[in-house]
Amino acid sequence: MISIHLKKGYDLNVAGKPSRELKHLPSPDQVALLPDKLPFVKTRLIVKTGDRVQIGSVLFEDKANPGVRFLSPGGGEVIDIRYGPRRVIEAVVIRLDSNEDHREFPAIPENRIADVPREKLLAALVDGGVWPLIRELPFRNIPRPGAEMPPAVIVSLSSKEPFQPIPNLYFRDKADLLVYGTRVLRRLAKRVIVSIADRDADLLAGKGLGEAPDCFPIRFRGHYPAGDPGVLLYRTKRTSKENRSWFIHGQDLLLLAGLLRDGVFPTERTVSVGGTASPVRGHFRTRIGAPLAHLLSGAEPNGDIRYVQGGLLSGYAASGKGHLGLYETALTLIPEGGERELFGFIRPGFHKPSYSRAFLSVFHTAPFARNCNTHGEERACINCGYCAHVCPVDILPQYTMKALRADEIEEALALGLLDCVECGLCTYVCPSKIELYQILKNAKASYYQEMNR
Amino acid sequence: MKQTVQKLFGFLGRPFETGGKLEKLHPLYEAVETVFLWPDRVTAVSPQVRDQLDLKRFMSFVILALIPPAVYGIWNTGYQSRLASGLSLDTAGALWTGLLIFVPMLIVSYAAGLFWEVVFAAVRKHPVSEGFLVTGLLFPLTLPPTTPLWMVAAGISFGVVIGKEVFGGTGRNILNPALTARAFLFFAYPGQMSGDVWVRIIGEPGPAADAVTGATPLALAPTLAAGTRFEPALHEAGFSFSTLLWGGYPGSIGATSALMCLIGGIFLVLTGIANFRTIVGGIAGVLGTGYLIYFSADPSASPWYSLNPFYHLVMGGFAFGLVYMATDPVTAPGMERVRYLYGFLIGALTVLIRVYNPAFPEGVMLAILFMNIFAPLLDQLEISIRNRRRIPNV
Repeated sequence: MISIHLKKGYDLNVAGKPSRELKHLPSPDQVALLPDKLPFVKTRLIVKTGDRVQIGSVLFEDKANPGVRFLSPGGGEVIDIRYGPRRVIEAVVIRLDSNEDHREFPAIPENRIADVPREKLLAALVDGGVWPLIRELPFRNIPRPGAEMPPAVIVSLSSKEPFQPIPNLYFRDKADLLVYGTRVLRRLAKRVIVSIADRDADLLAGKGLGEAPDCFPIRFRGHYPAGDPGVLLYRTKRTSKENRSWFIHGQDLLLLAGLLRDGVFPTERTVSVGGTASPVRGHFRTRIGAPLAHLLSGAEPNGDIRYVQGGLLSGYAASGKGHLGLYETALTLIPEGGERELFGFIRPGFHKPSYSRAFLSVFHTAPFARNCNTHGEERACINCGYCAHVCPVDILPQYTMKALRADEIEEALALGLLDCVECGLCTYVCPSKIELYQILKNAKASYYQEMNR
Repeated sequence: MKQTVQKLFGFLGRPFETGGKLEKLHPLYEAVETVFLWPDRVTAVSPQVRDQLDLKRFMSFVILALIPPAVYGIWNTGYQSRLASGLSLDTAGALWTGLLIFVPMLIVSYAAGLFWEVVFAAVRKHPVSEGFLVTGLLFPLTLPPTTPLWMVAAGISFGVVIGKEVFGGTGRNILNPALTARAFLFFAYPGQMSGDVWVRIIGEPGPAADAVTGATPLALAPTLAAGTRFEPALHEAGFSFSTLLWGGYPGSIGATSALMCLIGGIFLVLTGIANFRTIVGGIAGVLGTGYLIYFSADPSASPWYSLNPFYHLVMGGFAFGLVYMATDPVTAPGMERVRYLYGFLIGALTVLIRVYNPAFPEGVMLAILFMNIFAPLLDQLEISIRNRRRIPNV
């Protein structure tokens, strides 16, 4: 097994870690898909409010990427289609029947994977609605089903972001699907790279993944975002041909493998719930698109709380009445922290976590409670270089930001804009509180739109 | 306590709000308010959590690091002044005299500088930047105690307006504003800035009359006959290595003590506010160039040629300039490797100006300003090398 050590990056050390217990939640009364959280998808609705759907019925498709469709994660009635600003579709909500119907898909036994033609395999993934789970670097868009064979597909099993589900827990009683899944992926790409954190690496023991000539298990060590497929690609690529590799997260691979093996659209997710403001902390097995309140098992968090889906750095804030996104497997609850602090900037700061060494917290090793305060106001860039120091893919975020503000796209690209893995660390450490992550991410997104016009 | 302060600011802030009588001065009010009450802004976009370090703390750490040279400088200024005036030399008295000289300069520096900051902030509708707190303190520390107050005001105005604000304010300036201010006075009023007047006599009015002649170590060299060895001459004039290191001699208020600058520098490097690469490069530059001259030049031609290069580190304002001015992140290169080069060239230029240009006894100010101009070029050099090594991704 190849071993990689990422020296850059940064670990947040956040309090409120989820326990290592896995609890099965009862079925929620409704589930939803969130179209506006899907990358670069232009939604064309197939269903309308009041329609009856089965597990696996098509809810909507992607106008921009013909053929790509999104299937219902539940059986019952479409009770609400929620629109946001500028008529963007925020959620398609389905009330579940007590006895859910599901659509049948063709199943492929494990020993037949090698014999099915690649086109048929692709068609099975697209029809089965699991195609959107595969994404393409560097824009993290959903690849075109007809696209040429990518140089590699990276399976990312562990994430170093707080607090993502532990592979050992989400793989519980599903370990055989990993081998099945990698067999499928080997048909899709020239190489399959399976990356796992050093601490979780015993999961791969005895699976025989490394025996296939086109499958490369990699164990990594290091700080967040060491587990990100973009970082892995940046650290291992030798030519620019590899830039357009695909990736899939561990839990998504389980869904993909589950569909092909069993012929049923899979709906199960393992979600970690944590954060200092969360009334429950642990791992929960639930449904795709489950309501966030359902994950808290009915317990009400009190105070001014922010619900963060998908991780404190790369995730997004959600409403407490919202639903789990398709890709998101973590929910973190932290206080908003919208209070003013007397002489906040000059306190010794034993309890103030910082990437810099300008607080006494350098002597504090226990996890820190966090909130959403920006801890300062936005100022001009003073070129302190913290962002460049922490960037896992050696972009110079400060110079890239300046190049982008001057509309020098070529220069930004030369600086490595497209290598950006959207980890959010540059914004996190910035003492001038500049939204570097947003600036870089938006620039990448508009570059993608420009190229796919 | 917090509620009281919050209420107080709620009351005081009313005229500054939109529609209030002092609406235009809102940046000033905001600057004062956020010193007491840290803002309550929460993240609107990802990432949801942010680091605790902000520019206020960043800049206040430079001010903390300036305390050792400032306190020592105040004492030294008072001490030298009382020595020349024939008064008792107790520490408390020296500090008091020093404060009487320094505090008016500091107040004028902050007041005049803040005036321009607020003017520009109000016109641009920007907040007042914290960087000024550092500039306003740095500048008077680089001045001789004999500088008249109107000159302090003129200098800081030039530094803030021409050195910083015309370029767009903090973060966008090419030159270090405090050094720009000092360079302005240096060239505009050479008599007061580079002459031999460095000590104030107490009780006598008028700037010219209340100063006595006291050559600084750097001004000593041109007065020596060719062929004299510099070190013995320095010792004779009372400037032993340890005196120069401690800084107990007449000079710019805060810049005489290399030891205090070293303490401040260690603090800045340990807290990660200043980059050690510039400092290491600067020391290497002085020693490298110094030894090159020491070993290659004929010692009989100039007293400088026979000087042990370590003296360059402790003489004049080099230590102060290197620790507090050269490490200014805005005007220094942003790339890590060229920071060594940047520091090295500052050190080398300082020595070259001192040794070869008798018109400017102090080289560090010009060396840093000169290298400020070259910082973007150095950055460009390293970035282009870096970009070439990158596997392209377009």
